[in-house]
Amino acid sequence: MFEDVLAFAALPLAAAIVFTGIHTWFGLQVLRRNVVFADLALAQMSALGATVAVVAGHAVQSIAGYAYALIFTAVGALLLTGSRGFARSVRQEAFIGVLYVVATASTVLVVDRSPQGAEHVKKMLVGGILSVTADELVKFIALYGAIGAFHWLIRRPLLAAADNPDSGTRQIAFWDLLFYLSFGVVVTSSVGTAGVLLVFCFLIVPALVGSLFSSRIGMALVIGWLAGTAASAAGIFGSFLLDAPTGAVTVVAFAAVLVIAGAVRAFITAPAKERCRNRQLGFRVGGLLFCFVLGLSGTWVVIAPAGDHPLLAAIEMATGFGPERFMTSRERADYLEAGLIEHRHKGEIDRLYDRERLSRWQGDELAPDEVRRIGSMQQTLTEMGRGERFVMDYLRTRGRERERWYVGLPLATFGFIGAAAIAWRTRRAR
Amino acid sequence: MPCATLACIVATFLASSAALAQKLRVVATTSDLASLAEAVTGDLARVETIIPPSADPEAFEPRPSDLARLKGASVVVRVGLGYDHWLDKLLSLHGDAAVNRRGAGYVDASFGIPLLEVKGSSVDPANRDGHAHGLANPHYWLDPVNAEIITGGIAEAGIRAAPEMAEKIIANRDGFLVWLKARLTEWEQLLAPHRAAPLIAYHNTWPYFARRFRLNIVDVIENKAGVTPSPARLAKLAATIREQKIRVIMHEPFEPEEASQLLARRTGAVVVTLAPSIGSVPAATDYPTLFDYNVGTLARALSAASN
Repeated sequence: MFEDVLAFAALPLAAAIVFTGIHTWFGLQVLRRNVVFADLALAQMSALGATVAVVAGHAVQSIAGYAYALIFTAVGALLLTGSRGFARSVRQEAFIGVLYVVATASTVLVVDRSPQGAEHVKKMLVGGILSVTADELVKFIALYGAIGAFHWLIRRPLLAAADNPDSGTRQIAFWDLLFYLSFGVVVTSSVGTAGVLLVFCFLIVPALVGSLFSSRIGMALVIGWLAGTAASAAGIFGSFLLDAPTGAVTVVAFAAVLVIAGAVRAFITAPAKERCRNRQLGFRVGGLLFCFVLGLSGTWVVIAPAGDHPLLAAIEMATGFGPERFMTSRERADYLEAGLIEHRHKGEIDRLYDRERLSRWQGDELAPDEVRRIGSMQQTLTEMGRGERFVMDYLRTRGRERERWYVGLPLATFGFIGAAAIAWRTRRAR
Repeated sequence: MPCATLACIVATFLASSAALAQKLRVVATTSDLASLAEAVTGDLARVETIIPPSADPEAFEPRPSDLARLKGASVVVRVGLGYDHWLDKLLSLHGDAAVNRRGAGYVDASFGIPLLEVKGSSVDPANRDGHAHGLANPHYWLDPVNAEIITGGIAEAGIRAAPEMAEKIIANRDGFLVWLKARLTEWEQLLAPHRAAPLIAYHNTWPYFARRFRLNIVDVIENKAGVTPSPARLAKLAATIREQKIRVIMHEPFEPEEASQLLARRTGAVVVTLAPSIGSVPAATDYPTLFDYNVGTLARALSAASN
């Protein structure tokens, strides 16, 4: 099993590091150009091309499929380059947004002609980085290495074009087009494997983290690579530990790395004066938010004890001090009994399920009436289990009705007084 | 004179056939139910399907044209069990009482089926078979024996809609069932050498098929419908495949194949694409060929794996 875990993790992690390598560079330029969502627009154009290829009868991984995606991405690159000329009067992000929604809507319309299109669209969104093969990885390294080397050679005019606010010249338009075309090639390749969501993370988060710590592009690139590698490793190994889909966990890991980097920048590595101010601000804002949430949660318990109380439930889980303590002895006995009965019903349902499942291939086949009897029992037990859960919910609410005066009211009082005290001190400090 | 008589007979026959055909219009939600409805009604009815062949029925969203298709239908046949839950909305918009719930032309084909993996009479999000909705596993048409119950419901509704066709409908159904029984014996013989063969499926589509052909589906890759399996789950499945010497992974054409292929690469098992419905693969053109394809493909894969 451990070998499988390593085998399943090694290639996706290597792919994620390769993606981080090239996307951080493009991300830094995207941030300089102020076109954060250009990636999403180009990725969606690429997805549109791939979808057209599928409807035309080509596999996404075939040369024809790749060509379709690339042609559509090139059209997107041309449109993005052209939109910079209009950006003097309107923000370029507006054009990028329009390109994104039109590409998405067109994909839906094209998918409508393909019976298996919904699955294809979903795959484009979430990707499948877990199933990347060694051959694909080699291709990524070769392609991104070549593009990276090419960009290294032309880095000065590219960066100058990104920084130059005077975007009307033909020279700038040429470098812009070259940037978007190569960006399109990278996005087309990576979206097919990592999906639109994860590619956006590879592009923006490491570049943001790098930019937080350095305005020099070389240093920002190195920091971005380190942050992206850490986030990728946390995401891929985190998905093993949490037993959750890799793409989604990796996106959350990138967000966590961004938050941690932001905290490190604000509270640890900022200049001394700024650091001191940030710490004070952090404590005040954090304290205010914490007290305010406590106050609201306590008030909600007082007003609606039968409602959902996620914060109170978390406190109860952590302290073991729940509504059971506020039940009468009779109610508590009924509450525990209902829990036991529900557990017993679940066990019986599982036993019936196993019996029927084993009979599919072991021993004599069960007669249809016997299968119906098992189904009927499962249905009855499920409904009885729900009945017991209803009893537990009712008794928990009774407990909460009493608990609200002992827990909810003090929580609300403490929260609002704390928030008021922090607000008063902040005002006095000014 | 004889020519004129013959022409008159042919014209009368054609006119009566056309009139009969116009009397019954059957709309089925899936291609499988449509094929069974065609077997029952023969040339007495026009049978239409709402979900296009080869589309994923569990991801289907109806369009305005589907509402138009329901208009004027004499019989509406559905899978039920929450599988085609969108039909309720279409039927409530449609408004024809005859094909709405409790109407003479309404057929919930799941009625009377010995259902597997029953959960309850209401929706429970904490279900375990990977179906996002539904009260039991809904893939019951994949047991040919259940065709008897499904066709019974369709025949009854057809007779209620057009009583004068009763004799023909009953004869059609009886003929089909006799023929299907003979084919079932052939299919069972084909898979008999592989009784109790352990298998992994991508989606929990095959419990009825497994029960009929005595197969052991050890686990499914997709734990929750539409959610990619986690790496930990894949590692556990890889260990199970090795421990239980599973040689075949059952896949469906519209499911993402990355996870199945990854497991196959890691364990040496073979991914076999089976048709959960008519039209899912080109070879599955009607109800019997659906089983011809599935049974034949699986038997070949299992034989090749055991050699």
